This record gives sequence, structure tokens and C-alpha cells, in this order.
Amino acid sequence: MSELDRRSLLKMGAAAIAGTVIGNGITLYSASAHAGEEQNASADTALEIPPKGKARWGMVIDNNKCTAQCTACTAACRTENNVPAFGDERYDGHWIRKVTLTPERGGPEKHLPLLCNHCEQPPCQHVCPVAATFTRHDGIVMIDKHRCIGCRYCMIACPYKARTFVFKETTEWTNRDVPKRSHGVVEKCTFCAHRIDQGKIPACVEACDKSGERAMIFGDLNNPESAIVKYIRAVATKGVREDLGLEPKVFYTGI
Amino acid sequence: MANMKTKFSAIGGNSAGFRLLVVMLGLLSLGGFWSAYMMYLHGHHITGMTNAIPWGFPIVMAVYLIGLSAGSLVLSALSSVFGRTEFKPLARISALLAALLLIGALMCIILDWGRPDRILVPFFSMNPRSMFSLNGMLYSAYIGICFVYLWAMFNNREKLVKLLGYTAVFWAVLVHSGTGAIFGFVGARELYSSPLLPPSFIAAALSSGTALMIMVLYGTFKLTGRALDDELIRRLGLYLAAFIVVVAYLVFIENVTRSYWPGNYAVQKFLLLSGNKYSLIFWIGMIGCGLLFPFVILANPATGKSVKWILFASALVVIGVLAERYIIVIPGQVMPMEMFPGYHIAGPFQDGRVIDYCISPMEILFGAGILSFVFFLYALGLKFFEMMPDKAVIDEGTAGEKK
Repeated sequence: MSELDRRSLLKMGAAAIAGTVIGNGITLYSASAHAGEEQNASADTALEIPPKGKARWGMVIDNNKCTAQCTACTAACRTENNVPAFGDERYDGHWIRKVTLTPERGGPEKHLPLLCNHCEQPPCQHVCPVAATFTRHDGIVMIDKHRCIGCRYCMIACPYKARTFVFKETTEWTNRDVPKRSHGVVEKCTFCAHRIDQGKIPACVEACDKSGERAMIFGDLNNPESAIVKYIRAVATKGVREDLGLEPKVFYTGI
Repeated sequence: MANMKTKFSAIGGNSAGFRLLVVMLGLLSLGGFWSAYMMYLHGHHITGMTNAIPWGFPIVMAVYLIGLSAGSLVLSALSSVFGRTEFKPLARISALLAALLLIGALMCIILDWGRPDRILVPFFSMNPRSMFSLNGMLYSAYIGICFVYLWAMFNNREKLVKLLGYTAVFWAVLVHSGTGAIFGFVGARELYSSPLLPPSFIAAALSSGTALMIMVLYGTFKLTGRALDDELIRRLGLYLAAFIVVVAYLVFIENVTRSYWPGNYAVQKFLLLSGNKYSLIFWIGMIGCGLLFPFVILANPATGKSVKWILFASALVVIGVLAERYIIVIPGQVMPMEMFPGYHIAGPFQDGRVIDYCISPMEILFGAGILSFVFFLYALGLKFFEMMPDKAVIDEGTAGEKK
């Protein structure tokens, strides 16, 4: 079976699981859509959702596989989450962005995506005066955009520049499943929580798989059998600014 | 004591000059509100703020006004708490200005929100771990305390005045520590994270607040044609000199500590030695205007006794502390955050480079408007309430005892 066929089959499985979702992101029950060798890092397009409060979603980014010109993840995120691009670097929204690292002592450039690290100790949540930023039961750090007052203290506190303020009214509404961005509040990556609740992996990871680079692995850090945990056990990974002790849940190899 | 029987009255406020002043301040305030409304309507892209510099001049103004408020309140408490009865005639106007300056500061913060229409949200959902949330409670209570304190003074409740004076001073310490902590507790940015920010915030608040009060008192008494003893100004000048020394010490320690550690060489070089506008504002504005020149003026016997020179030194301090607030808020955001040591980073979020921030005309209008609104309310307060003493002159007898 070719890769493409297998993936479309799994997609159908994911769609079947999506059918069991009963509003408000509450998932009744979802079974593993695939078993055995299918639970391979790159082919992981459907998620096994553990009971509420048990999951800790995380991501591995293999920097050796991420290439300079590919923008699959950032483009997919923009479409999936209606992230505004105004064509002005001062105001563009970024939930995930590609950066270029040039070693100071010479050597090849590295390219990797940066996104919200969904810290276990999120400083953005600590400083939020109205508790609009909160941690979901599965460890995803999210913003209630109806409660956010737009004070931007979280943008000051985040060491990853993972948050952007919606500086202008936006018209883009590419995905009707996700609300349109409203100006005056702070936004950031949700790990595609709406997709996770449907048993689907985040849009960026799916796009990365489709592009053939397969530089991203998404999964449950609490599940010792998950592909991501197996990978972290086998390969040395590193979080960005681990020295701050925020326990980020995005891990990188090759930096 | 003669001072105990100081008569307070409202100013007439019928002169053409006063009306012109009120109209001018009112128009400027409207300009400020208009800019805030434009920011709300069109989004913050009409200001100089960007995703990399999310806090701009409105936040600088907010912390500046909070600081100015402290000096006024301490001056007001000098008579009731510290027993300096010669300052009693000034207690009412100082307490009024303390409350109004803090109202101005809160307006700067709230009108700078992306969604100021959600003004009620902080009252219903709080986060006790957030310095902003805590400060919201501290500021609101502080304004309340100031007004009750004023009420007690108006009704000559001496015991209550004393109690509230103590409460107000204690609360002011909390308020200004909390404001310093907004920045000091941010661990991600080298130029913010510092346990010294809360105390140095109080110190700069006292110096700028005292300096502002010297100017406001002189101006108010002159314009309303009432007698103000030069000796009062001289004594306030002495306090100002003492506060400047404390600020200078804290600024010195903070920068020496930061400069000592190799990991901070880059930021300190950027702030102190690069010759860019931030280091110019640091050396000329914050150190020169805020500390060095006024201290020399105040400490020099030839100039320190002259009311004119003291006023000049106060003006320098008021400008210098605005520069200090700017240095607290802005350079910490302008410097790139070191995410990947050993690499140069480049990306679409203006990553890896020093990002320029220019105060936009909209923000200047905003800041000037709120400041004008504070003095607009102050002028109306003097007209409608018995704020002003007939005179503020040191009684020979009491002055001799106290000195």
C-alpha cells in the first residue's frame, strides 16, 4: 500500500472519530484508529485521546529534516486558524513561524519552526490579569478571546515571542470551524485544540507530513507507548530556553 | 499652633486666565480621549507599537503618573504622619493631586488596552498571581484611601486623618512596589528581571513626585495670589536632594550588578555604551536630568537656597524621571531575546535584531491628553472645594521648635 493510500485510509478513520464528538469539544469515546507499526512517527495522522486530564500533548521537531524553503506548516496554520497576514512584519500574526539560525562560528544554517511551547509553567498565564490565558485539562495553554482585555502583559512575559496581538480588523476567515481573529486581543497557537478534540493532529504537523519532510511528531507525552515518547527516549532532544524552568512541551533535535 | 487654624477656601476661578487654562486643559484632554478612541476603533497599528514592542508610551506614562502620585501623597502625610506641621496647609491639595494622578495612571493603562470596553472583566475574573491583577486592586484602594483621607481632612477628624495618613503611606509603598514588580518579576527579559525594581521604583516615585509638587505648589500659589513661604520650598528641595541620592544609589547598584555578569554584557553594552537613542536617554535624560544636574543644583549652597534654582532642579527631575520610566519600559523590549545561544536568529517576527521603537504622534497626544485631564480635574477641584489655604507660611514659633 502506498503512503498516500494509507494516509487517506487513516483520514477516513479520523473522520469516523470526529462523528463521535458531541459539541463543545467533549469527546465521548475514541478508539485508536490504527495499531502496531502504523503508530509510526510520520504516519501518525490520527490521535488516541486518553481520558480527560490524562493527556499532555507535546511536539518534537527534527531540525535535521526541516528545510529552508518549506513553509508547509506556517501556511497550513494560517489557513486552519485564520491567522492574519497584513503584509507588514510589524503586525503580522504568527502562531508558528520559520526562523533561520546562523551559527556564530560558521557552518550550515539551520531552519526550524517556532511556536507556542505550551509550557507546563506558563509565564503568560501567570501574568494574565483576568485569567484569560488558561491551561486546558490536556496541558494546552489557551486564550479565552472573549475575556482577553488586550493589555499585552503576556507578550512581555513570554520568552518565545509566541504571542501576537491583533493590530487591525481582519477579514480573513478561511476556516469556518475556527473563529475569525478579532482585533484588540492577543492570540497564539492552540496546538489546534479543535482538531485534537476530533482526534486529528495539528494542521502544521499534518502539512509537514504531507510535504514529505516529516520533521514534526505530535503525541501524548504521558503515554509511554506513544511515538513521541519513544522518540524522545531514543534521541537527544532539547527545549528552547530550558534554563528558565518553564518546562516547554516542544522539543527540538539538531540544535 | 498657628498652623492648626489654617483657613481653607475654594479659589474664585472667575478670572479670564483661569477660564482659559481650564478650556485649554479640557481641549487637550479631549485630544487624548480622541486618540484613545481611534486606537480602540482602528487597532493599535496607528501607534508606534508592534508585535515586538507591545508596550509603548502609554505604559511609560502610566508608571510615570503612578510615581508622581507617591510624592504628592507623602507630602500630604508629612504633617499627619511625620509631624512636620509646617506642611499642613499643603495637605489637601497634595492628597487631591495624589488621587488624580493615580486616576490618570489607571486611565493610561485601561485606555491602552486592546479592548477597553471590557473594563468590568478585571473585577469579575482576577488572577492573584498576576502583578497587573494585584495592582488593579492596590490602585483602586489607593484612590479610595486618598478620597477618604481628603474627606477626613475636610471634616477636621484629626485622629482619623492621622490613621489614614499612616494607611496611605503604607499603601503607597505597596502600590509602588507592585508597579516595580510588573517589570521586575518578568524573568524572560534581562533588562526587566530585577529584585531592585520595586525599591528603586519607590525612590524614583518620591523624587519625581516631590519635584512635581514643588512646581505645582509654586504655580498654584503664584497664580492664585497666595503667600507661599520660600522656606517650605527650600525644605522640599532638601527632601528632593535626599531622594535623588537614594535613586542614584539603586540605579548604580542595579547596573553594576548587571554589568558584572558576562551573560549580560550585550544588553549592558547596548544600554550604556552604544550611543544609540536609548543610551542617550539613559545618560542625558535619566542620569543627567534626573540625578546629576539637579543634585548639583540642590547641594550647591549658592543655588540650593534659591527658589528659582530649586524650581529649575525640580523641572529637571520631572523630565529625568520620565526618561527613567522610558528606560524601564522600552529597552527591555527593544533588545532581542536570546533564544538560541551561539546562533544568529532571523525570522518574520523581527527576530534576532534590535527593533526600533518611535513614540508616535498618536501616543504623544494620548499621554499629553491624560496628563492635561489630571490637571483639568485639579483646577476644577480647587474651584469647587475648599482646598487652598489662605497662606502657607512657617510660623516663627513652630518652625523654631521643629528645626
